Amino acid sequence: MDVTETQIIAALLEFFDRQDTTDEDFDRLALLIFAYQFENNQPYRRFAAARGRTPLAVRGWRDIPAVPIDAFKDLTLSCRPTEEIEHVFMTSGTTRGGQRGRSYHPTLAVYDRSMILNFRQRFMQGLERIRMGILFPDEQAMPNSSLAHYLALARRECGTPDSEGFIDEAGLATARLLAALERAEARDEPYALLGASFSFVHLLDELQRRGRHFALPPGSRILDTGGFKGQSRELAADEFYDALSAALGVPRDRCINMYGMTELGTQFYDWGNETCPPVKSGPHWIRSRVVNPLTGQDVPAGETGVLVHHDLAHFNSVSAILTEDAGVVVPGGFRLLGRVDGADSKGCSVAVEEFLKAARG
Amino acid sequence: MTEFAGHLPGLSAGEVEWKTLHFSAWGEAAEIRVPVLSEAQGTALAGRVRDNARAYLKTLRIAEITAIIDQAIARLLDRNDPWRQKAERLLPIVTGYDPEMVRLGLTGYLKTFRQPQLKRFLAEDFADPQILDDFQTRPKGGFAKAFGPDLLLHVWAGNVPGLPLWSLISGLLVKAGSIGKVATAEPLLAGWFARILAEIDPRLGECLAVVWWKGGDEAGERVWLAQADAIVAYGGNDALKAIRDRAPVTARYLPHGHKFGFGMVARAALDTRKAGALARQAAYDVMRYDQQGCYSPQMLFVERGGRVSPREFSAYVAHELASFARKHPRRALSIEEAAGVASWRGAQELRSLGGDCDLLGDPADDWSIVHVEDAQALAPSGLNRTLSIVAVDRLDDVVSLIAPFRSFLQSVGIAAEPDDLFRLAGLLGQVGVTRICALGSMTAPEAGWHNDGRFNLLDLVTMTEIEHAAEAAADGFAPYVD
Repeated sequence: MDVTETQIIAALLEFFDRQDTTDEDFDRLALLIFAYQFENNQPYRRFAAARGRTPLAVRGWRDIPAVPIDAFKDLTLSCRPTEEIEHVFMTSGTTRGGQRGRSYHPTLAVYDRSMILNFRQRFMQGLERIRMGILFPDEQAMPNSSLAHYLALARRECGTPDSEGFIDEAGLATARLLAALERAEARDEPYALLGASFSFVHLLDELQRRGRHFALPPGSRILDTGGFKGQSRELAADEFYDALSAALGVPRDRCINMYGMTELGTQFYDWGNETCPPVKSGPHWIRSRVVNPLTGQDVPAGETGVLVHHDLAHFNSVSAILTEDAGVVVPGGFRLLGRVDGADSKGCSVAVEEFLKAARG
Repeated sequence: MTEFAGHLPGLSAGEVEWKTLHFSAWGEAAEIRVPVLSEAQGTALAGRVRDNARAYLKTLRIAEITAIIDQAIARLLDRNDPWRQKAERLLPIVTGYDPEMVRLGLTGYLKTFRQPQLKRFLAEDFADPQILDDFQTRPKGGFAKAFGPDLLLHVWAGNVPGLPLWSLISGLLVKAGSIGKVATAEPLLAGWFARILAEIDPRLGECLAVVWWKGGDEAGERVWLAQADAIVAYGGNDALKAIRDRAPVTARYLPHGHKFGFGMVARAALDTRKAGALARQAAYDVMRYDQQGCYSPQMLFVERGGRVSPREFSAYVAHELASFARKHPRRALSIEEAAGVASWRGAQELRSLGGDCDLLGDPADDWSIVHVEDAQALAPSGLNRTLSIVAVDRLDDVVSLIAPFRSFLQSVGIAAEPDDLFRLAGLLGQVGVTRICALGSMTAPEAGWHNDGRFNLLDLVTMTEIEHAAEAAADGFAPYVD
């Protein structure tokens, strides 16, 4: 029985809206989507078959083989022929010699629905709309950035009409941003700043240079994502949230970090960064495991391993990915412990990271 | 088990702050205390080492120095000596390497520093090593004497036990006062060696110190860098650059970056009688210290046309790595290291779906080989016993594959007939290879090896020359002048 893309999309949208799903429901849909991907995504089919994981052999979502995240750079992972696909999100290409990972979306209906449901619950927390300041380029400037799309969606669906973006060709539009923060401070309604973590560092540096700080009204909130990526100085998490909180008057428990990837259609959030690293979790259509990267087996609860995410919303590509992020499973989700890139070789052999860096010059 | 690392002449343990590093492996744990000196203590220690070296080490003759080093090495080679026993007990816990591998590795390595071998070190760099003791006649006329720096700073990296001895002993041979910074991953052996020297000759023990600071601690590092006349540093390019940027411009800087080794097997070596032994030697080089050394091979180029095909040879090496895994199991990997191996395996697995390579070994094994039939450029393996074996039509083709990576090249293990060996050596040297050895000895460079193609001793010294005219003129002032 072949399942069609239309059926998958319908099943997903219905699944997102349900609040009473069980483990069995997740497994059933995961297996259906795996069968669809196995049938239609040839490189993934070969990968899974080489590991003896065919739809017949797989009994639950944990058995569905996860592709290493690097595979999105080397292989075309799409169930629909890519020439028919309008929406392609690409990674920023800061690693692996600028090769960019690609994620193909035949429709954004699933991505958008996944994003909005989750964003409303985890960031809006009951607010219908909030005035937003966006510290990231818009979709016109970065048409292949999933984050630009994500933020545009947040603004369109949950922002007030006078929400603004503050990154343009010249970088951070400081004067305009300070004016907006002043207005927000003066009014008695909450304000939200959203953007790349490194953009916040640039803002912090700018405020420090000017000796400015703000006390945004109660209910104001911050969403940062994506880490520093060499685009700003690196800060330890505690230092970063302390500085944000001090500079903008937003308590750390209202500073929410979103953890997402181009190679996923769903995001993870924490409930604020009062203590770091906080517990992160996603909605009921994404599940995570923590594995030994060598064997792919789950590590015992409480032990550190590498995160594997199984995201039903990433239906057209591959739902199961092996990340390069270290994590540990805790009640209610997982703690993200940072990237493991194999660069921490202790010997004097040259390791891949250093080699690539030098090869790029 | 608690052990204090370092060697701090003139400072008592109570005066110094200690940081505890925790290690565990093979079911045992060890706490290693490493010294954290204040700026004032660092400055005073450097001054003391410099003064003592001037007052004592510089007055010793080379023969006396080599005799003392020989005695210290003899103690580390003596399995009944308490220092040796301590090394055999603690180093496997600290580095995680298989205890038997550590024991064999230490013996093999330390042997290169016995007195006859030290003479080879000297002879490699100096036509007449006595030039370190007295003014010697020069072919151009006049006389010259070689002087080592007063204060030589060593910044060591890595977890292969004992590697610091190479530069520490080089420093002693040129009569330099030495301060060495041990790596967090193996903070012990250099300090023990210094303390053994101090037991044998307490005054010599005052001419060197072994310290620690946290990698990347700029302030801590600056104290030492500011004092040094010469700096020998090991590490990744980022770390080396950071040191270069902070070192005084007048200090001589001798950096040793991370390197990349590989092997080459000619078709002449690939008959059924020789290939098995050769595969074992190649596997041995991969197994030793889990490819952590700069000399460790990460790739093997195998020539087509022999009685044993490259693909068969890959199977031989896989078999040997599997048996080494039983005899000398791989050390427990950190999550970063495991991810490095997994990421390399993952990339090979994806390539293998395209059909241009085969992955040998199970993910849970202590080793992995990828066999590649199409020539490919040099690329690092995932380390920790992961190896690419690449088939080539002619070994000469390898030269163009490695030429772009000159700055990473160092050791190449070659199995080929003499004519090929010399022809290939010429081609490899031209693109930057500095050491050619037999397979099976890639991780054991011979005594007097020119590390990274440079001179261990000659790079450290300056020459003071007495020109012929000065000598002739002096004659005029002699009491015996007519």
